[in-house]
Amino acid sequence: MSDKPSSGNSKVLKILPYLSLLTVLAVWELIVDTGLVPNTLLATPAQVLKLFIYKLNHADPDGAVLIVHVLTSVGEALTGYILALLIGIPLGLLMGWFVVAEGLVRPIFEMIRPIPPVAWIPLAIFWFGIGLTGKAFIIWASGIVPCVINSFVGVRMTNPVYIRMARTYGASDWEIFRKICIPSALPMVFGGLQVALAASWTALVAAELIAADAGLGFLITMGRRLLMPDMIVLGMIMVGLTGVAIGIIIDRVEKRLVAGMRR
Amino acid sequence: MDKQACANAPVAEKKPRKPFEYIAAVFKNVYVLYAISIICFLSIWDLVAVMKVFGKFMPRPVEVLQQLGDMFVHPLAGKTLLVHLWFSLKRVLIAFVIAVAIGVPIGLSMGFSPYINAIVKPVFDLFKPMPPIAWISLAILWFGIGETSKIFIIIIGAIVPCIINSYNGIRLVDPELYDCIRMLGGNRRQEILEVTFPAAFPAIFAGIQISLSMAWTTVLAAELVGAREGMGFIIVLGMNLSKPAMIIGGMVVIAFTAWMISLAVTRLERWVCPWKTNLE
Amino acid sequence: MENKSGVKKPKIECINISKYFGEGREKIHVLDTINLSVEENEFIVVLGPGQSGKTTLLKIIAGLYRPSTGKACLDGRVITEPGPDRGIVFQRYTLFPWKTVMGNVEMGPKLRGVPRKARREIAGHYIKLVGLSGFENAYPHQLSGGMKQRVGIARAYANNPEVMLLDEPFGQLDAQTRYLMEQETVRIWETEKRTVVFVTNNIEEAVYLGDRIVVLEGKLPGRMKTVYKVDLPRPRDYTDPAFLELRHRITEETELVL
Repeated sequence: MSDKPSSGNSKVLKILPYLSLLTVLAVWELIVDTGLVPNTLLATPAQVLKLFIYKLNHADPDGAVLIVHVLTSVGEALTGYILALLIGIPLGLLMGWFVVAEGLVRPIFEMIRPIPPVAWIPLAIFWFGIGLTGKAFIIWASGIVPCVINSFVGVRMTNPVYIRMARTYGASDWEIFRKICIPSALPMVFGGLQVALAASWTALVAAELIAADAGLGFLITMGRRLLMPDMIVLGMIMVGLTGVAIGIIIDRVEKRLVAGMRR
Repeated sequence: MDKQACANAPVAEKKPRKPFEYIAAVFKNVYVLYAISIICFLSIWDLVAVMKVFGKFMPRPVEVLQQLGDMFVHPLAGKTLLVHLWFSLKRVLIAFVIAVAIGVPIGLSMGFSPYINAIVKPVFDLFKPMPPIAWISLAILWFGIGETSKIFIIIIGAIVPCIINSYNGIRLVDPELYDCIRMLGGNRRQEILEVTFPAAFPAIFAGIQISLSMAWTTVLAAELVGAREGMGFIIVLGMNLSKPAMIIGGMVVIAFTAWMISLAVTRLERWVCPWKTNLE
Repeated sequence: MENKSGVKKPKIECINISKYFGEGREKIHVLDTINLSVEENEFIVVLGPGQSGKTTLLKIIAGLYRPSTGKACLDGRVITEPGPDRGIVFQRYTLFPWKTVMGNVEMGPKLRGVPRKARREIAGHYIKLVGLSGFENAYPHQLSGGMKQRVGIARAYANNPEVMLLDEPFGQLDAQTRYLMEQETVRIWETEKRTVVFVTNNIEEAVYLGDRIVVLEGKLPGRMKTVYKVDLPRPRDYTDPAFLELRHRITEETELVL
């Protein structure tokens, strides 16, 4: 209930973001059109849009239509991501509650955690090839870290009063874990989902840049090889948009799950 | 009286200890478990390597150590391991300093002025979802595969947390602190100097911390694509020479460096903001 | 409610104060025609349950809120903005977490440009007054709730305000500490007299501290209900029959369920 006058003119503040975006697009278009920046280095927004429409139903020059690239990337990302959730969340939860689990897993986890996902790429290619498995492994390796950390912290932050109460009623360790620690850790676990997704998506692009025959990262690389800046920019925009789209979907699923659990 | 005894009974109740529980207690000691864990990890790794589960692409831990020692002494592509590490660190440091120097003022001005925020935020939100690695191709197209393109990519990666945290740091200052300083007679300038900056500082520092680790991740990605030196180059070289021991050796050094960086930053934080309470 | 001692000029005067928050359909009526005058060095307690607008009233006197109608005056001048002539103590303590106890207490003099040595002396005096000697270099997060609020009181006092405004300062403390802090408040106030406006939801606290108790009605908008004069000598005894009787009377008459 702040009583201070709201700083700034609200009408201007509503228009400014659109103006700003329009200006950026206009300047982008103009600097290329006027030749200030050569077209070989940067494509105009119009060119990118044109290529986007063209790529909707043409496989050339990179070998696949746009939707195939998107689906390939999404498929790889989701495979690794879901595997990371399936393994990382239970692992983190167990580590949070059982001393033995923490003692056994933590040193290994702490050793592997500081390795950036990008560094896994060569090994992943050696071990699993450049297909789905190799990519899924890299994504898994980067997605599992936030899953484990958030689940672990979630359990650790359980209000000790609840645990003491459960003990007073004679609940076993396992029962306390299942009925108290897991439910109270859920908000943190869900928080980890988005972080893990962002990490996975970044790792995927990295993996596809190094070795791939389809996917959005591959599209970007091909744009460079073919000296087509419009394809590079199109690839980047699609990476951004798809990432945001998956994020929104996961957010929806998360809300649905939370609502389901409240009932 | 009776009631109280009843309520306390289940808490007070303790099972009698059997002899094997003393042995079990040893296994509940965290450090014993840590030791077991590391030994198990190394043995399984060794076993997998000896049994050739991944063919010749899984070296034994000993081989990795030998390779590491070798790289310390014998130069790879004209440089020893430490020189390669120094090249990567140098890129990170240069890009990191530039990212902080640009990102923090942008974030701060967004936090201070709703107008600047309305102009910058939509553009920022447009670029934010693109991973820094996606910029590699464009950077190479613009700057070639030299130093500039690598620094550029690292800046892109490191600048985002600087902006976000500086912005939120300013925005999320407890408004009652402003009430407080105004009641004590502070003017606008004193509000900013005595409240805004110190209150936002921990958040800004956290952003700088994240941005440093982002920079370290991004430098590897940048070096994977066309580099003559650096830790990323060692990994790529290991891949091209089919020498997994070199790759894993490189990863060990990378992980160790990342760990040292975060340790140093945590120390620094305790020194520059001693008032920050530790959560753990 | 007019005080009989009309010869003395009131220190604080609230004249027909009403306050609304928000606009349109979300408009909330928080305070309704509050009229109140506080004499110099008087300890006045504003008593009311949660959501009765008492904090809003305090913040209007502080100058942090503007009244929608009416005016609040200090020494006959209309209050328009916060200022160092009024010291405030917040319910959530609101200390500067990056400053030590000394740093917090000396903040007021520092803002006024008092040189370092002199302001250290002032701050040291008030730290001693609130009983925190030896904790000058501790950070707020190292202190207990009671100690934090002592710092809050010392910080407000160190700026040498004419009026002290306390907004449920002991609301977050446990009962034991609360009693102790109430006694400390009286001790500090008797050592260095100031005009005090003290907001609380606790009847016992009100009776223990106040020269007068202003009761606000229990629902929005806050209206003045009754004003009680407390004539008991200080230090008061929580178990004194006269104390209990007054406490009982206020409870009955205000029908506050606390």
